[in-house]
Amino acid sequence: MKLNLKIWRQKSPSEQGQFKDYVVNNANEDMSFLEMLDFLNMDLVRKGEEAVQFDHDCREGICGSCSLMINGSPHGPETGTATCQLHIRKFKDGDTIVIEPFRAKAFPVLRDLCVDRTAFDRIMAAGGFCSVNTGNAPEANSILIGKEVAENAMDSAACIGCGACVAACKNASAMLFVSAKVSQFALLPQGKPERSRRVRQMVAQMDKEMFGSCSNTGACEAACPKEISLENMARLNREMLRASVTE
Amino acid sequence: MLDSKIPSGSIEQKWKNRKFESKLVNPSNRRKHTVIVVGTGLAGASAAATLGELGYKVKVFTFHESPRRAHSIAAQGGINAAKNYQNDGDSVYRLFYDTIKGGDFRAREANVYRLAELSVNIIDQCVAQGVPFAREYGGTLTNRSFGGTQVSRTFYAKGQTGQQLLLGAYSSLMRQSGEKSVEIFPRQEMVDVIVIGGKARGIVARNLVTGELQSHLADAVVLATGGYGNVFFLSTNAKQSNATAAWRAHKRGAYFANPCFTQIHPTCVPVSGDYQSKLTLMSESLRNDGRVWVPMKVGDKRAPNEIPESERDYFLERMYPSFGNLVPRDIASRAAKRMCDEGRGVGATGLSVYMDFRDAIQRLGNTVVSEKYGNLFQMYEKITDENPYKVPMRIFPAVHYTMGGLWVDYNLMSTIPGLFVAGEANFSDHGANRLGASALMQGLADGYFVVPYSIANYLGGEKLSAVKQEQDEVKSAIADSQERLNGFMKIKGSQSVDEIHRKLGKIMWEHCGMARNEKGLNDAIKLIQKLKDEFSNDIRIPGDTRLNSELEKANRVADFLELGELMCIDALNRKESCGGHFREEMQTPEGEALRDDQNFSYVAAWEHTGKTPTLHKEALTFENIHLAQRSYK
Amino acid sequence: MMKCKSFLSSSVGQKFLVALTGLGLSGFVLTHMLGNLLLFVGPNAYNLYGHKLTSTPLIYVAEVVLVTLFVVHVGLTLKLQKANRASRPIAPSQLPNVCVKRASFASRTMALSGLMILSFAILHLVTFKFGPYYAVTVDGVEMRDLYKLVQESFQKEWYTGFYLVCMVILFTHLSHGFTAAFQSLGLSNTHNTWLKRIGFVFALVVAGGFFSQPLYMYLAHH
Repeated sequence: MKLNLKIWRQKSPSEQGQFKDYVVNNANEDMSFLEMLDFLNMDLVRKGEEAVQFDHDCREGICGSCSLMINGSPHGPETGTATCQLHIRKFKDGDTIVIEPFRAKAFPVLRDLCVDRTAFDRIMAAGGFCSVNTGNAPEANSILIGKEVAENAMDSAACIGCGACVAACKNASAMLFVSAKVSQFALLPQGKPERSRRVRQMVAQMDKEMFGSCSNTGACEAACPKEISLENMARLNREMLRASVTE
Repeated sequence: MLDSKIPSGSIEQKWKNRKFESKLVNPSNRRKHTVIVVGTGLAGASAAATLGELGYKVKVFTFHESPRRAHSIAAQGGINAAKNYQNDGDSVYRLFYDTIKGGDFRAREANVYRLAELSVNIIDQCVAQGVPFAREYGGTLTNRSFGGTQVSRTFYAKGQTGQQLLLGAYSSLMRQSGEKSVEIFPRQEMVDVIVIGGKARGIVARNLVTGELQSHLADAVVLATGGYGNVFFLSTNAKQSNATAAWRAHKRGAYFANPCFTQIHPTCVPVSGDYQSKLTLMSESLRNDGRVWVPMKVGDKRAPNEIPESERDYFLERMYPSFGNLVPRDIASRAAKRMCDEGRGVGATGLSVYMDFRDAIQRLGNTVVSEKYGNLFQMYEKITDENPYKVPMRIFPAVHYTMGGLWVDYNLMSTIPGLFVAGEANFSDHGANRLGASALMQGLADGYFVVPYSIANYLGGEKLSAVKQEQDEVKSAIADSQERLNGFMKIKGSQSVDEIHRKLGKIMWEHCGMARNEKGLNDAIKLIQKLKDEFSNDIRIPGDTRLNSELEKANRVADFLELGELMCIDALNRKESCGGHFREEMQTPEGEALRDDQNFSYVAAWEHTGKTPTLHKEALTFENIHLAQRSYK
Repeated sequence: MMKCKSFLSSSVGQKFLVALTGLGLSGFVLTHMLGNLLLFVGPNAYNLYGHKLTSTPLIYVAEVVLVTLFVVHVGLTLKLQKANRASRPIAPSQLPNVCVKRASFASRTMALSGLMILSFAILHLVTFKFGPYYAVTVDGVEMRDLYKLVQESFQKEWYTGFYLVCMVILFTHLSHGFTAAFQSLGLSNTHNTWLKRIGFVFALVVAGGFFSQPLYMYLAHH
């Protein structure tokens, strides 16, 4: 298969970037998208050209490292799929593919397709935890949690922190990411004691990091490789209101 | 002989005794001590968080952009703990026994017992952090079973247990980061350990974004940098997983133990082409319901669903009736290889076997099967474009975990005082084969419970002199690393680093993979030496030193080449078969691994000398468990 | 109090207010549309209704509330919109029709449709509230002949056409906004998925009602 690629190249956060055209001639349809980029890079390196920098690691859709806007969609055209799980068989011979980094003020481009998503870590540090020191824990089965509650919490906890929600959102809002974490802990009894403090501080940090606000467009949900539900965001709004009227 | 510093007393008393004998650091003095933790997987994140909670000044390094990306996140199936919630006869002692036996009697009894003891605390800790483990309707925790055991003791969170446990540890770490007791250095890769006065006093880290090298000084260093499965190029490890931190420490004096003990996991998605960049694991939990088979006839090319029941060979169930599809990983892998060697492998390459859910779907229905394994089935379908609800999965063994690692004593301290090694990076708990769902257990036991005690014991008992950035040892460590990196940039050959890496992987898989023999290993050593020359003369790294994946790879592959050679040397030395290490010369008439306890009941710890490595032995004595030929029949 | 203040200064709190005022305005447009249905009954009914509405002193309270709702709704939205623009300095380039993971048209264009509705509302007030005064006597009481004004206004094709286009825009704004408000207020969950459909129905009823009135006036009196 032949693929025409338009790839965003940018040397550093401060320099201007631009698209560059590349052609991959012998792409195999069973290749993963990132393997196709590996293939391109091998070719570039042999020619003495700089390899395209992109973040990746587990290549199983769980570490959340890979990103990429592929033809305007975060993680490419397939729903519920991270870039690393996308295969070339989803494209056609001769297709042109535009590949660019996730775009958001809070995610500065480091080089080419690599962005800095540490803003998410800072939001987590602001309150995305249950305050329990090692050794402090009660016997596990002394906390009873209904099957359905545990499963709902698990659905929220499935977020891989890739930032596709931010990239998809016209406002670069991080609400889906924040709400998934807030939801997980709001649902579980372990998270209840500090639920008000948690939601206030996480939202405050989110605003401070220059993420936009939510317009309820639902683009984040559509782009999420783990299909995290918008319901989490309603829950976050509820938690936030609750935190401001009680306690 | 190496001193493993095992505490006195009966096996049940050892850890209690050690904790009581341990020296302590006064809470107000802890903040005067800086501890560096390298790696933020289960072991690193949990150790850093706990040390931060205790009041130490902690610096955490990860080459990832965020601590949450560490490869622990990809563990699927679960975590073992001897809670006996299922009332099926489990106990700390049984978990201890299963782990020693599963490891083919090549692990240290005292460590494994401690691991089994701590397993119960881990579950408590994780639940308190809000890890959403699977539950029964009544609200209690539920379990599933895993290979190599006859009890259900595996706790899980869908097929994402590693993710949830890591996010738990990560959340604790981020809490400490918010409280400023832990400082996190993302996108910084450790390239050397700084040894002053014979003790580990810091690291040299490379900022991957700017390319700058910087030294960081400390009173103790904890390496939690994972395993070295990527020596094989194709493995289930994440692409960036590497052995550089461990190997740099080895070159500064830390012994490397049992490097040839690698685990080949039986259930992975088979290789599909030569562009393949990595292999994907299908959780062992699938073997609870998936039946593994090949056609009876050699060269049977019919579609799987056209092969009648009578012409299928459910070889695991046939060969190991009491454990069936749930035999330990090394045994299942070897059996699959044997089927393919006999010409009964399936798929286009003949290098795979079926794992069939037809019976489970008939018995339980699609809904229940999808509840249990839905995300794994989906993952399989994404990769292969085949629907496992309709056609059996095709699986083949792949490198998955490395039991070997830096040698550590009972306190997880390496042969460099002040350098501690936790998680997969050390060698301590799994012997020659790791049981499923035990890696998560070990990472967290080391990080939450063992390292914090060991650090206190070390710092409480040592008089450490002050060290400065201007010291010669520090400057020369930076200069060494700089020179090494400059060297890579200067080569300007014709191959990308990946090409060399693939070649190394091929050599290792062929000669030091599922089956090894003397001739093959000798050949491999020669081939690797040649490949090293090829590397140092022919690689090419275009561009500069800022955020350059090619340079990162070169830095790692140079170490993989040296480590690969040591793996072959170790495999050559160990003229017995045990666990994942199968020497073709040593097998029972049925083709099972044949141990030689007389001559090889020891840990092989290798010292780096610059030339031929020197072997040091730690004798393994089994006071509690009777040494026996492993049988899962 | 402090907590309430910090809530209202957060993006979540401000969206909460936008939603709340949005629902208030939705209530207004619904009643306005229902009242105007009297156009179908006849001039007297319509003028009496207008007269009753404007002759109570409560109208001033209602007007103040309404203006406040408008100001808060529009003002906060503009403020958030400005911050949102800053959050997204470069938009990703999109190949036409290839980007598949995108939000609905209505949801993406809320700010634009909102501004168009605002301009429409001003024009609407100029035309009717502050438009020419015709007098009429019904049941012996002199009052404003609004019916005549409406009838006169919708004799012009361009005006009627413009009005109808604006109602389509109102439809898109309401179809997303009404449902989204419940999301922002934290009221939607998996058990009330009907909320997602009710926004569409609400928008259809309101915009449809408003659509039918100028159309009727134009056709009936032409």
